[in-house]
Amino acid sequence: MRFPLFLLPLLLVLLCVIPGFAQTYAVNGIISSTDNGEPLAGATVSVPALQAGSLTNEKGAYTLQLPAGTHTLQVSYLGYQPISRSIRVSNSGTTINLALQPVSSQLQEVEVETNTLRQKLNDTRMSVEKLSSREAKLLPALFGEIDLIKTLQLKPGVQSGGEGSSGLYVRGGGPDQNLVLLDGAVIYNPSHLFGFFSVFNPDAVKSVELYKGGFPAQFGGRLSSVLDVDMNEGNNESIHTSGGLGLISSRLTVEGPVIKDKATFTISGRRTYVDVFTRQINKWSEGKEDYNPIPDYYFYDLNGKFTYKLGANDQLYLSGYYGRDFFNFDNNGFKFGFNWGNTMAALRWRHKYNPRLYANTTLSATSYQYTIKNEFDVFSLDLTSAIRDYSLKTDYDLFVDGGHSIRFGAMATYHGFTVGKLNTYNGDSLTIGAGSNYKAAEFGVYAADDYQVNARLSLNYGLRLSGFGNSGKVYMGLEPRASAKYNLSETVSLKGSFASMMQYIHLVSNSGASLPTDIWYPSTRYVKPQRSQQVALGVSKLFGNGRFLLTNEVYYKWMHRQIDFRNGANLFLNDSLESEFLFGKGRSYGNEVYLEKTKGKTTGWIGYTLSWTERKFDMEDNTEDINGGNWFPARYDRRHDLNVVVLHKLSKRLSLTGVFVFSTGDAYSMPVARFAFQDVEGEDAAVVPIYLRRNGFRQVSYHRLDLGAVLKLRPKHGEADLTFSVYNAYNRRNPYFVYIEQRKDEGDGRILGFQAKQVSLFPVVPSVTYNFKF
Amino acid sequence: MTRIFLYLLLPLLLLLCSCDLQKDIEVELPPYAPQLVVECYLEPGQPFRLTVLESSSYFETPQPVVVDDAQVYITYNGKRTEVPYKPTYNESSGRLYTHVSDEVMNGKPGDVYDLEVRDEKGRKVTGTTTILPKVPIDTIEWKFNEKDKAYLLTSFQDNPNSADYYRYFVHQDSLKTDPDQNFTSSDNLSNNKRISYGSGFDYEQGDVVIVTLFHIEKQYYDFLNSTADARNANGNPFAQPAQIESSVQGGIGIFTNLAFDRKVVVIK
Repeated sequence: MRFPLFLLPLLLVLLCVIPGFAQTYAVNGIISSTDNGEPLAGATVSVPALQAGSLTNEKGAYTLQLPAGTHTLQVSYLGYQPISRSIRVSNSGTTINLALQPVSSQLQEVEVETNTLRQKLNDTRMSVEKLSSREAKLLPALFGEIDLIKTLQLKPGVQSGGEGSSGLYVRGGGPDQNLVLLDGAVIYNPSHLFGFFSVFNPDAVKSVELYKGGFPAQFGGRLSSVLDVDMNEGNNESIHTSGGLGLISSRLTVEGPVIKDKATFTISGRRTYVDVFTRQINKWSEGKEDYNPIPDYYFYDLNGKFTYKLGANDQLYLSGYYGRDFFNFDNNGFKFGFNWGNTMAALRWRHKYNPRLYANTTLSATSYQYTIKNEFDVFSLDLTSAIRDYSLKTDYDLFVDGGHSIRFGAMATYHGFTVGKLNTYNGDSLTIGAGSNYKAAEFGVYAADDYQVNARLSLNYGLRLSGFGNSGKVYMGLEPRASAKYNLSETVSLKGSFASMMQYIHLVSNSGASLPTDIWYPSTRYVKPQRSQQVALGVSKLFGNGRFLLTNEVYYKWMHRQIDFRNGANLFLNDSLESEFLFGKGRSYGNEVYLEKTKGKTTGWIGYTLSWTERKFDMEDNTEDINGGNWFPARYDRRHDLNVVVLHKLSKRLSLTGVFVFSTGDAYSMPVARFAFQDVEGEDAAVVPIYLRRNGFRQVSYHRLDLGAVLKLRPKHGEADLTFSVYNAYNRRNPYFVYIEQRKDEGDGRILGFQAKQVSLFPVVPSVTYNFKF
Repeated sequence: MTRIFLYLLLPLLLLLCSCDLQKDIEVELPPYAPQLVVECYLEPGQPFRLTVLESSSYFETPQPVVVDDAQVYITYNGKRTEVPYKPTYNESSGRLYTHVSDEVMNGKPGDVYDLEVRDEKGRKVTGTTTILPKVPIDTIEWKFNEKDKAYLLTSFQDNPNSADYYRYFVHQDSLKTDPDQNFTSSDNLSNNKRISYGSGFDYEQGDVVIVTLFHIEKQYYDFLNSTADARNANGNPFAQPAQIESSVQGGIGIFTNLAFDRKVVVIK
């Protein structure tokens, strides 16, 4: 039993409460930006002399427990100038609101002190990765397309789905186990072009936070991670336009005040234009014998946010997202159209009852759907799958004397599922109609206390009760959450966490990639909810005069009622989809080492993860097993994963960046044997592969170096820069997939032999993007 | 379906210098014990005939291994018939058989036949099939477009009382060549309906088209789909590996019967 061993140090830390500390008083307030007055979530507020610190919540609010006296309060936030302020504490309820000044250009940002490492050391939370859009924009990117999700893949414990993929595999969890929130509303399929690009336009996003473990109680509904994406709020001072021209897409953002100091707006859009070139190629080749036209493909997305200050204590935020991918094909009378995308709208009302009690209430609607249309002569077919949610949630923050910051709230969601709705027509008459509709309700109530016990020890403990009902079947789950931080000394802290999670909706996908046809399916009488438990322990050490933070975290995650599919499962057009499901378990464990430097001309991080991720589907719960009922590695089970990210400011105008990635090759399945199949007619026997073990082979190691440079230009108005990227700088042929080729005699067509072939996807890919702001 | 995504990749790949993105690699395969592979289709009016081969490790010599010591028995209604080893080439279908009987099979719909194959290594394969009735083809129609190419449309009526599975072939000129169209379907979404199978604008005036509609057993449908899935999984990064769903026990392969309606038309 590994579990008690893992828990022992955590328990020791929890028991090491040293009583008898001096009386403390609550100090609270809001940290905002001087630029547009918007609150800054995740800013660090601290009194270094007392080793006391706190992070602001998503509304910019913080609370600290300080003894009476005069203290130096430090506040810092990624991309902003840190400030220090002397404060006097004599009783509880002291309110200190502060505004930080942003660093104006991207180049200067390199030397900005990000979340001061000391504050990270003192944060109760663990297993959290935070990234700002400004930070991501400095790093080299494939085709120059900045992608915050791909930048997060460079953090320890986070894996990509494969070459170029924007899927997130967090501590052994699948991409369907990530709760992706955009301004508090769920985004169901966060990728374009089957996973190569994420739906988050970097101009529209302020920052992202990824929880890998130690989940706060306000989050629920997925097993493995929470990706909390915050959209930018419009500039409160004046109208600004920014954008970029890239190799495959362009983007434009307009933001500004609607009513000065009262209402702001921001609207961003981007679109790819590869289709413009492919259409031209098709036009040139029209009429050529045996020419197959290149299908038309493009995507676009739009983000908008409107804020309105109702009064001193009330503010409204209206956020929206609309994105679509289009794929069209028209050849020889055969028309094929395929589109998919997410739509989201969220209205949040923030209300301050008094300096100790805040409430946020969000009403949101979100949907993901895909539609396939196929036409041939008088025959046509259309197929749609969709999920539509309407959700209401409310969260309260209450600051209580004695070091307690209590958060409680509730959420309720109505889910509507359309699974494989198919209609085929002959002329105007319907020939086949099929598909299923489900309606389900999900709820969650929670309460959590962030308790600063004393200057060394802080605890966060909470409980979430969640439930799900579908067609008379109701599931409920209790999800305890806890984390603790203990400072051994001024430079060393220990952390531990435990989180239990439930997931009531499931992604039907056996592709191993993020395909648009992956659909969501509710828990039913037969399909029970997924569950997980995770424990993590960490130690952080600050050294080099506070310039380096070294963190080590070890974790173990148990996953129950995991879903895979029967051999030969038909997931596409099937009215009894759940009969194709197989249920099993998963486990993931590993160690993550993370060294970061955030001060000086050269900054960056090194992350190394040693991990195991396995699945087991046996006959205990099923009539059919996978891999003989034995444990098998997940495709993304990568033993070693190393990421090195370096940013160097060469001069005021030029910064250079480099990213090196090394990981163990993917586990994959390959046929080990074959047989000849003649079939009933025809001379040529087919070679049929025989697969034995699931994911029993390993691809060769993956490694890649990306280089980037940001050159600041001197335009007459505003700011501009050129961002250069070289993806896969030394042109490594990394494995994408392996197959066996049949070698035939060119003359008589006889099979001469078989050869394993490795296919790579991206060679060296240079790109340049022009960015502007005025 | 996942093949569509391979086509989706095309525009992206065009942007790249996509040459030299494949290379030969060496993969070490684990030891593999060859199994018996049986292919046997009973057809009223034809002798019992089948092929018994062996599966082999992937990188071994490509020629299939014939199991000449295999003994084959087919049992119907308590009567056990031995099918002797007699390698035969069938001219009209281009098929090879390793075992052929002198006796002709005369099964009626509903009759049950059992197969047993054993060899000197002690391997034994068994299977069962139930003779199915034919499903008649109602009509074969075609329609020309402005480029004088025609599409073909074959229609038939599904049986309301059973779960039915079909296989559809369209050959041009002769059955010896691979069919232009070859697919399986079930009446899962179209029970008791008139079912139509179409084609692209693939035919011209004067083409001789042979249309065959097989009414097949579920075990044959599953076997065909699993072999197709296994073949597609080799070379498709989005596919999961598929296990072969044999209709026989103790080895690999298919034991079933062929109930089909066949029509020959000349496109005019």
